[in-house]
Amino acid sequence: MTEKILCTGNDAVARAAISAGCKHFFAYPITPQSEIGQYMARELPKIGGCFLQSEGEYAAGYMVLGAALSGERVMTATSSPGIALMQEPLSMMMTAEIPAVVVDTQRLGPGTGTGGQQGQTDYTYLTRGVFGDLRYPVFAPYSVSEVYEYVQLAFHIADKYRVLSMVLNDFVLARMTEYLELKTFDFGSLPEKEWALKGSANKGGRSDLLFTVTGFMIDIPGFFVQQKIKSDKIMESEIRYDTYKTEDAELILVAYGYTARVAKNAVNLAREKGIKVGMFRPISLWPFPKQALHDTAAKAGKVLVVEDGPGGGFIDDVELSVKGKASINFLGIQARHTFRPEGLIFPERILQEVRELL
Amino acid sequence: MAEKGEIVIDDDLCKGCGLCEFFCNKECISMGKLGPGGFPIAYISNPENCIGCGICGWMCPDMAIEAYKYVSGRS
Amino acid sequence: MSQETAMIKKVVCKKPEFRMLPLGFCAGCHYGTIYRLIDEVLEEMDLKGNAILIGGGGCSTLGAMAMNIDSFGGPHGPGTAIASALSRVNKDALIFAVQGDGEQGAIGLGNFVATAVRGENITVITMNNACYGMTGGQLAPTTLLGMVTPTTPTGRDKKETGSPLHGPELVAPLEGVAYAARGTVHSFANRQKSKKMLKNAFQIQQKKLGFGVLEFLSACPTNWKLKSVDCIKFIEDKMLPEFPLGEFKNIDKKKE
Repeated sequence: MTEKILCTGNDAVARAAISAGCKHFFAYPITPQSEIGQYMARELPKIGGCFLQSEGEYAAGYMVLGAALSGERVMTATSSPGIALMQEPLSMMMTAEIPAVVVDTQRLGPGTGTGGQQGQTDYTYLTRGVFGDLRYPVFAPYSVSEVYEYVQLAFHIADKYRVLSMVLNDFVLARMTEYLELKTFDFGSLPEKEWALKGSANKGGRSDLLFTVTGFMIDIPGFFVQQKIKSDKIMESEIRYDTYKTEDAELILVAYGYTARVAKNAVNLAREKGIKVGMFRPISLWPFPKQALHDTAAKAGKVLVVEDGPGGGFIDDVELSVKGKASINFLGIQARHTFRPEGLIFPERILQEVRELL
Repeated sequence: MAEKGEIVIDDDLCKGCGLCEFFCNKECISMGKLGPGGFPIAYISNPENCIGCGICGWMCPDMAIEAYKYVSGRS
Repeated sequence: MSQETAMIKKVVCKKPEFRMLPLGFCAGCHYGTIYRLIDEVLEEMDLKGNAILIGGGGCSTLGAMAMNIDSFGGPHGPGTAIASALSRVNKDALIFAVQGDGEQGAIGLGNFVATAVRGENITVITMNNACYGMTGGQLAPTTLLGMVTPTTPTGRDKKETGSPLHGPELVAPLEGVAYAARGTVHSFANRQKSKKMLKNAFQIQQKKLGFGVLEFLSACPTNWKLKSVDCIKFIEDKMLPEFPLGEFKNIDKKKE
């Protein structure tokens, strides 16, 4: 009988990492996720791990790179402005194929936004990958349990493919408290990390080089061919999504993260009134569940994308998936109940929009 | 008896910087031999002066010189 | 007694074991001499099998390709952050970060000072050629007053861009810094003095006494637009008056 506790989204991130065998965490405080670092600061020394508060997000990204050179599982967590600062180290890690997990607890952008409150404005940035046009898996949980599961999965995927793995958390999930079943997931066995830097004495005299200046060392087109093979494998095997009451739906709500929780409530409200609405929830934002969304949307004929932002990459990906087989509408940040920072999109507002569309 | 040494210059590694000629205290090395890269490189101009001190080898930025010293020993 | 004393050829200076030669540096650059020195010290201290090199971005990355130890190379500036984290996860390795004076003193300065503040058990080896080498010799924090560079075409002016930064001296007063020194390889005597300093720096890391930084003044014939031999004079006449040699801090020093 696994233990069940009340847990916030932030703490779930930390607990999941430790369950996955990650003992090393490097980060900089930033609202709304400083609690992750604080949890790690308390717990990691107890298990012989390393918590280090860095001098900035750029440094945190590079610390993750440095620690990951050893082959150990490592993680950093930040919020939207921090992800911007980490772009360089993340690209370096993708180039040298150094696996790591990054948790982006997104908050309203652009700039400093509302100083750390809810918003969904990181989609485009994350799903288009690092500079150099290399994409990495991004998972968007919508409950504390999913945060706990997907952070663990992220470690597995990072090691399996030697890739960066991103979990897109958000202000609402981070602050939310739900019941969490403390399961340790076993996603399968993984090969040894032969590439890790441990000193040549520990490798029978063989020394290894991990390098970000690929152009000096290897066949350049060949490097990109290898990356495409890797990315194709990820697209084939690591798509995650969920559907809710879509079988007979005449309109599909498409949402992720906390907006998907609201959208789910809207579906329930609508169904009570006999309105046939369903929800398609992508969990892997990259690789995006294009085929599954296409089939679901084509059957219904109408799609309403709901996102707590101005709309951008998310709408693009829905359009790319649907390929004209359904009409696509968008309900965004303008639908918030107030213009003030505490604004949220409520289920009733989504229902109002659904009524107008049907 | 004055020490006797010998150096070997790897033509493929020499970039012709001239530091060995500069640092040699016995004027054993000169620049100006046409190297495999098509530019002037170092060569041993006065091998009889070499005392095998090794300084040229340690100061060469390109590891192009190996130095030896002849020492007395049982055959 | 038998007089059969033949002359035996003894190796005085042999080619070091590098993963890749020739090195990518310009003719007359002192990087190669310094990498050879590092290799020699690692061998003598029997640390080669345990050593990990964090190369930087710029000329500092070229050595990472060549040294026959576990190496990482590429990013410009954050070598100290990378080395900090790795040293905490791998406490047995001898970790050293090679940085140019430009990346360390500008983009990486925050990381450099923060790492020194934390007193991380790593060694930083700085290559100071008073400019940004790889990109064409532009103004660096260490550029000498009056020195002409592509971004100071009329010579560095104190009022415009300040005075040369002294990396080791900057951090030496910090509590977390155990070793701060500067050496050169522009003469054999200095090369041997620098060898001792390098040994001191690595010993301090082995004893986990704190942060160590050893800066080398290094020739840059391409950007100084001087012949290799004239670079030696430049270091002697122009750089030494600005950048003194010696140990500014050594908490492991034996009291006389």
